[in-house]
Amino acid sequence: MVTLTTDVLVIGGGATGAGVAWDASLRGLDVVLVERHDLAQGTSGRFHGMIHSGGRYAVKDPLAARECIAENRILRRIAADCMEDTGGLFVTTPHDDPAFAERFAQGCAQTGVPCEEITPAQALREEPRLHPGISRAFRVPDANIDVWKTVWALAHGAQQHGARILTYHAVTAILRDGDQVLGARVHDQRGGEDLEIRARVTVNATGAWAGRIAELAGIEGVRVFPGRGIMIAMNHRLVNTVVNRCQMPTDGDIIVPIRTVSVIGTTDHHTDDPDDQTVEQREVDQMLDDGEKLVPGFRQARALRVWTGVRPLFEDAKAADTDTRDVTRAHALLDHEQRDAVNGFVTITGGKLTTFRLMAEQTVDAVCRQLGETRACTTASEPLPGSERREHYRLGERLARKEADLNGEQLICECEMVSRQRLEQVIARTGSTDLDDIRRQLRLGMGPCQGGFCIYRATGVLHARDGLGADQADASLMAFLQERWKGVWPVLHGDQLRQARLDEWIFHGVLDVEHLPR
Amino acid sequence: MSRGFRYDAVVIGAGSAGLVAATRLAQAGASVAVLAKGVGCTHLAAGTVDVLGYAPELVSRPLEAVAALTHENPQHPYARIGQQRIGEALRWLQATLDAGPLAPYTYVGDADHNGLHPTALGALRPSALVPSTMAAGERTQLERVCIVGTPALRDFHPSLCAANLSRAGVQARAVSVELELERADMSTLGIARRLEEPRWRAEFCARLTPLLRSEERVGLPAMLGLREPHTVHADLEHRLGRRVFEIPSLPPSVAGMRLYESLRAALRAAGGRLMLGAEVVSHTREDGRLSAVQTGAAGHAASYSADAFVLASGGFASGAIELDSHWATHERVLGLALDGVPAPGEPRFLPDYQAAQPLASVGVAVDAQLRALGASNVYVAGASLPGAVPWREASGEGIAVASGFAVAQTITGGRERHG
Amino acid sequence: MSDLAELALLRGSLDHCIKCTICETACPVAAATPLFPGPKYAGPQSERYRVLGEPSVDASVDYCSGCGICSQVCPQGVKIAEINAQARDKLKRQRGVPLRDRIITRPTWLGRVGTPVAPLANLTLRLRPTRVLAQRLLGVHRDAALPRFAGRRFSRWAAARSSPRSARRVVYFHGCGTEYYEPWEGEKVVAILEHNGFEVITPRQDCCGLPLQSSGLFDDARKAVLKLARALAAHLDGEETIIVGNATSCTLMLKREAREILALSEDPTLRLVAERTYDICELLLELHHRGELRTDFRALPETVAYHAPCQQQGHWIGKPALELLELIPELDVREMDARCCGIAGTYGIKAEKYEIGMRVGQELFSQVQASGAATVACDSETCRWQIAHATRREAVHPIDYLYRAYGLGQPGV
Repeated sequence: MVTLTTDVLVIGGGATGAGVAWDASLRGLDVVLVERHDLAQGTSGRFHGMIHSGGRYAVKDPLAARECIAENRILRRIAADCMEDTGGLFVTTPHDDPAFAERFAQGCAQTGVPCEEITPAQALREEPRLHPGISRAFRVPDANIDVWKTVWALAHGAQQHGARILTYHAVTAILRDGDQVLGARVHDQRGGEDLEIRARVTVNATGAWAGRIAELAGIEGVRVFPGRGIMIAMNHRLVNTVVNRCQMPTDGDIIVPIRTVSVIGTTDHHTDDPDDQTVEQREVDQMLDDGEKLVPGFRQARALRVWTGVRPLFEDAKAADTDTRDVTRAHALLDHEQRDAVNGFVTITGGKLTTFRLMAEQTVDAVCRQLGETRACTTASEPLPGSERREHYRLGERLARKEADLNGEQLICECEMVSRQRLEQVIARTGSTDLDDIRRQLRLGMGPCQGGFCIYRATGVLHARDGLGADQADASLMAFLQERWKGVWPVLHGDQLRQARLDEWIFHGVLDVEHLPR
Repeated sequence: MSRGFRYDAVVIGAGSAGLVAATRLAQAGASVAVLAKGVGCTHLAAGTVDVLGYAPELVSRPLEAVAALTHENPQHPYARIGQQRIGEALRWLQATLDAGPLAPYTYVGDADHNGLHPTALGALRPSALVPSTMAAGERTQLERVCIVGTPALRDFHPSLCAANLSRAGVQARAVSVELELERADMSTLGIARRLEEPRWRAEFCARLTPLLRSEERVGLPAMLGLREPHTVHADLEHRLGRRVFEIPSLPPSVAGMRLYESLRAALRAAGGRLMLGAEVVSHTREDGRLSAVQTGAAGHAASYSADAFVLASGGFASGAIELDSHWATHERVLGLALDGVPAPGEPRFLPDYQAAQPLASVGVAVDAQLRALGASNVYVAGASLPGAVPWREASGEGIAVASGFAVAQTITGGRERHG
Repeated sequence: MSDLAELALLRGSLDHCIKCTICETACPVAAATPLFPGPKYAGPQSERYRVLGEPSVDASVDYCSGCGICSQVCPQGVKIAEINAQARDKLKRQRGVPLRDRIITRPTWLGRVGTPVAPLANLTLRLRPTRVLAQRLLGVHRDAALPRFAGRRFSRWAAARSSPRSARRVVYFHGCGTEYYEPWEGEKVVAILEHNGFEVITPRQDCCGLPLQSSGLFDDARKAVLKLARALAAHLDGEETIIVGNATSCTLMLKREAREILALSEDPTLRLVAERTYDICELLLELHHRGELRTDFRALPETVAYHAPCQQQGHWIGKPALELLELIPELDVREMDARCCGIAGTYGIKAEKYEIGMRVGQELFSQVQASGAATVACDSETCRWQIAHATRREAVHPIDYLYRAYGLGQPGV
C-alpha cells in the first residue's frame, strides 16, 4: 500500500476543509486534503450562494452578526473574483410584523452591520419585481459567492504552496495508536487502490458528516445534527439584489441572485442521515408560496431545479430536538487533545459559509497549538488565486467575453455561455471524464435547457479530446442526464416541463440515447 | 364593431399534424385557416416519419406491430386511426412531396418496414419513411462508412458518432473537415445555406475528397441544403463518387424544415391560409359545439368562426397542455378535458430518468372519431392526443401525419375536390 | 404598474424560452451577416446576463433590425424582438445617439422642412455628391432608398373636402408617409372607404414615434405616440367608431409596439386607440367575411407580386391583402415567400447596415424578378421604397389595386 506522510491531513473538501488546506499551506505546513467526492459537492455546493452582511442575525444572534460582517469585509478583499457585490435589501412585506423593522435597525447599529434605510419607492425602482406593498426597506452589504469557484481557488492556492488535493478518496479508517491519531487509510474510488496517509495532525472538516469521522477515530459524543433544507433555482434574476424579509429568520425568506439565476431558500427539517437529499412536494410548495410574498408572480416564473443542502448543526443541549434552526449556527472547534485526551485530531463543524475562513483560521491555530509551533495566519489579507486584482465578478462577464470574440469563440453551453475552449481546458486540467464534475467547474448545463443542447456537444468534445472509449463517453452522458433529472423532476412544471419535453425529444426522439450499443 | 373572419374549417397549430389536416381539408374544397402561435415541432424533430420503432422492443414491421400495440393499449392514437389510414396517410405524404417544390426530394420507404438509421450519437434508430437524402445510411446498406463533421458545427461530433456505430458493428471512422465559415457557432442550417452555393459546395468536396477511402459511404449531419436538397445531395454524391447520407442531429432540424416548407407549399397550393403569431386566447362555445376562436392579434382579438375545428396544438412541449405550479393539468387552448393524467397523490414523475414517466401520455380526451369530448366539432390530432409516448416509441411524425390525415377525412366525409 | 415593473415582466417572457432555435431559423439578419449572432442569443440568452443599472456589455444586439419575425415564429411566446429593443435602447443611451438617428427618426420635422422646397430637396437628395457627403457626415448610406417629397400634404387635401355623412364613421390615421411622400395613397384610402359607405374623419396628426422607437430613442417615442393617441382618441365618439390606417408599421405601433416595447400598456388612451385601430386591409377583409364589402370589382388582367412586410405580419392576422387582391377578377397575384426586404424602417438606410439590409432582401428581390410582375404590392411604405430601389419595379400599396378595380378613377396628382 502506498503511504504518504504530511504535517496536516484534512478530511473534507468543502469550503472549510479547502480553507484549512489553504490556511495551513500558507503557514508553511505540508498538507494533504482528501475528499470522498469532488470538491464542494456536499453542503458547501448545496446552499444558496449568499454571503451574509450579518443583517439576518442582527436581532437574533448578535455574535453571528458581528462575525458575518467582519468576514464579509475580508472575503470582499481576498475572494473578490468569486463574489458579486449585489448588495442586499431587508424589506417589510405586508406579511411581516412591521414592528420588527425598528428592532432590525437597532440590531444592525449595535452589531456594526452597515444598514441604510431607503424609501419603498426607491427599493422598487431598484427591484421592480418586489412586492409593491413593502413598507420599509433597508440596504445592507449582502453579496453572493460562487462557491465552486471559491473552493477550487482555495485548493489551487494550497496546491501552489505544495498541498496535495485528493478528490474521490474516501476515508475508510482513522489510524490511531493509543492516544495518538496518526492519519487515515483512504480508498481511491476511481483508481480502486487504498493508501495510507500519515499526518502529525488530522483535521476532521467533514461538516454534517463529522460525527461519523470522529466515530472512526473512536471518539464518542461528537453529535452533529443534520438539518436538511431545499433551495430552488429560478431561471433568471428576478432580483439583482439579495432580498430578505425583515423579520425573525424563518423558512423561505431570502432570494439570492447568483450568476444567471435567483435562488430561494430554504426549508429546515431534521434528518438522521447527512446524505439525505429528499425533496418533499410540500417543501416545494412552501418555497413557491414564500417566493410569492417577496416577488408577486413568483409561481408563474420558471423554476429550473431544486436541491437539498444539509447543514451541520452542532448539538447544543438547550435546543429542542425538532427545530434545527434554533440549534446554534455558530461553529464548533473541538480540540480532541483537550476534549478527549486524543492527540493529533481536531474537528471543525457547524458554522455557515460566510465564516468559513474564520473557521479555518481557528482550526489551523489549534493545529499549530498541537504541533507546538507558532505560525501566523495570513488568510485575511492574502488574495485567492484569480482574485489578485480585487475586482468583483460581474454577471455580464461571460457575455462580454463572447462579444469580444463573437465569431471566434464557440459556445458549447449557450445558456451559461461556456466556450469550447474553456471546456477543453477544464477537461485537460482536471483529467475528469465526469460531465457532472465539469459542470460544477464551468456551470455547464446549468441554465434553462439543463443540458438539453450542450450535453451532447460536451460529450462529443470529451470523447474527441480524451481518446475516451465511446462506452465511457456514453456512460458519462447517461450519468449526467440522470444527475440533472434528480434536481429537475421534483419541481418540474410550467415552462421547465416544456423544456424537459423538448430535451426528451432530443435525447430519445432524435439521438435515441436509450438504444446506444451496450 | 363586431369583428370576425369566417372559414369552413379552422386548424390550430402549424406542426405536421395541423399542416396535414389543413392541406387535406383545403384539397377537399374547404376554406381553411391555420392559426398558430408559432412554428411547430417540425423544426425540432429528426425529419423522418417514424410510425412505430419500439413497442418497447425494436420493431421491424411497424404496421404489424401497430396491431399488437393497439390491442394492448386501446387508448393509443393508432387504435382510433387504424392501420389502413396510417398507410394511406404516408402514401399521400410521399405523393405530396413528389409534387412539391423540393421534388425530386421526397420520402422513401413505407409503413410496413422500418429501416435503421444512424443518429448523431451513433445509435441506430428505426424509421419507416426517411428523406431521400438519408436513405443511403440504412443499416443493411452500411458496411464501411466515414462520418464527416467540421469543428465549427457544434451540433455534430463525428468521432463519437463513428465510435458508437463501430460498437454496433459498422466499420465506421470519422473525419473533420476544416472549412472557412463566418462563424464559430455554425448550425446545420447555416451550413445548409452555404452548401446551396455551388462554389462553396465544390470547395467542400475538394477538401473532403482526399480524406476519404475507397468503398466508404459518407455520413454527414442533416444539412444538405434547405431549398434544393436534391441538387446538393446529388452533386455531393457525384463529386465524391460515392453514396452520401444525412444524419439527424440537434435542432434546428434542416430535414424537418424541408417537411414544413413542403407542407406549407401544399397548403398554399390548395388555397389554405396560415396565420403565424396567432395564438388562440379565447373561444366561443354554443350547445356543445365550438363556434369561434379568438386570437391575440395586435391591439384587439381577431375572431375566427368555422363549422369544424382541428386542435393540433401539441402537448406539454408546446405549452398547449400545461402542468401549473399547483400541479394541476390544463388544456390551455380550448379548456378541453384531458386523458391520462395521474390521479392526485399518484406520482407524476419517477426518479429514474429512463423510467416510463407517468405524466408522459397525457392528451385531450377524444372519442373514436378523434373528436374532443364535450365539443362535437373539435377534432384532435398529433401530440395533442393521449395514449402515446412518441419520443420513446419512435412514433411522433407517424401519429401526427396519420391523425391529421384522419381528422380531415372525417370532417370532409372523404370528399376530394372536384373539378 | 410602473414602467419598470412592466419591463421586468416583458423580460420575464424569457422564461418561456426552451432554446429550440426556431427563431434562429427565421431571423433574416443572422442569415445575412455574422455581425448579428441571432435572436436567441441576443434576446432570451443574453438577457439573463443583463443587470438593471449596469452598463451594456453586448453591442451585437445593435445589428438586430427589429423586424419582429422572431417573436412571430416563436411557438413559446417569448417576446424576443421586444427584449432586443430594450437592450438596444439601453445601448443607445449609453453610447449616445448619433446625429443621423436624431434626424431620420423625425419624419414630421423632415416632412415639414422638405415639402415646401420639394423639387430642390428631391434633387439634392438624388445628387451623388450630396449623398456621399450625407454618408460621411450623417451615416446615411449613399445608395439607400430615400423617398421623394410629394410637394403637397395629404392633410391639406383632406381639410379641403368633407366626407359624405354616414352612420358608419372611421377615423383615418394616414401617417407621415402619406402626409409628405405619397398623399395619393391617402386619397385612395378615403375613396375606398367612402365607396363602402364610411364617413372618413381625418384629424390633425403627427408621427407615431415608430422611427424613434426603432432607433432606440424611447423617451421621445413615448411622447410622440401619446400625443398621436390623444389626437385620434378625441374623435372616437361612438362605440363603433374605429381608426383605420394604411401605414401598416404605424398601425402596428399604435396597436401593440408602443404598449409592449415602450411599456405604455397602462395608458388608457393608448389602450383604447390600440383596440380600435385597424389596418386598412384588415378592415376590408373583415367586411368581406361579414358580407359587407362591396365587390363590384372590374377585371384587372395583369400580374402583381405581393409581399407581406414584417410589420404587417406582426399584426398576427395572416395576410389580409392577399385575400383581398384575390377577389379582383383576372388579377394574377403572386405571393412572395420571403421574409423581409431588409429595410426594417430606417435600419437599411444606415451606412453600416445598408449592405446587410440589401442581403436580407435578396431573396425577396430575386423572387420579385422571377415572378414576371411589373409591380409589387406591399403594405408598408419604407418597404416599398426599398423594393422599388432594389428591383427597379414600381411598388404600391395593395389598395391601389382595389381602387382601380372599383373604378374610382385617378386621384388628383
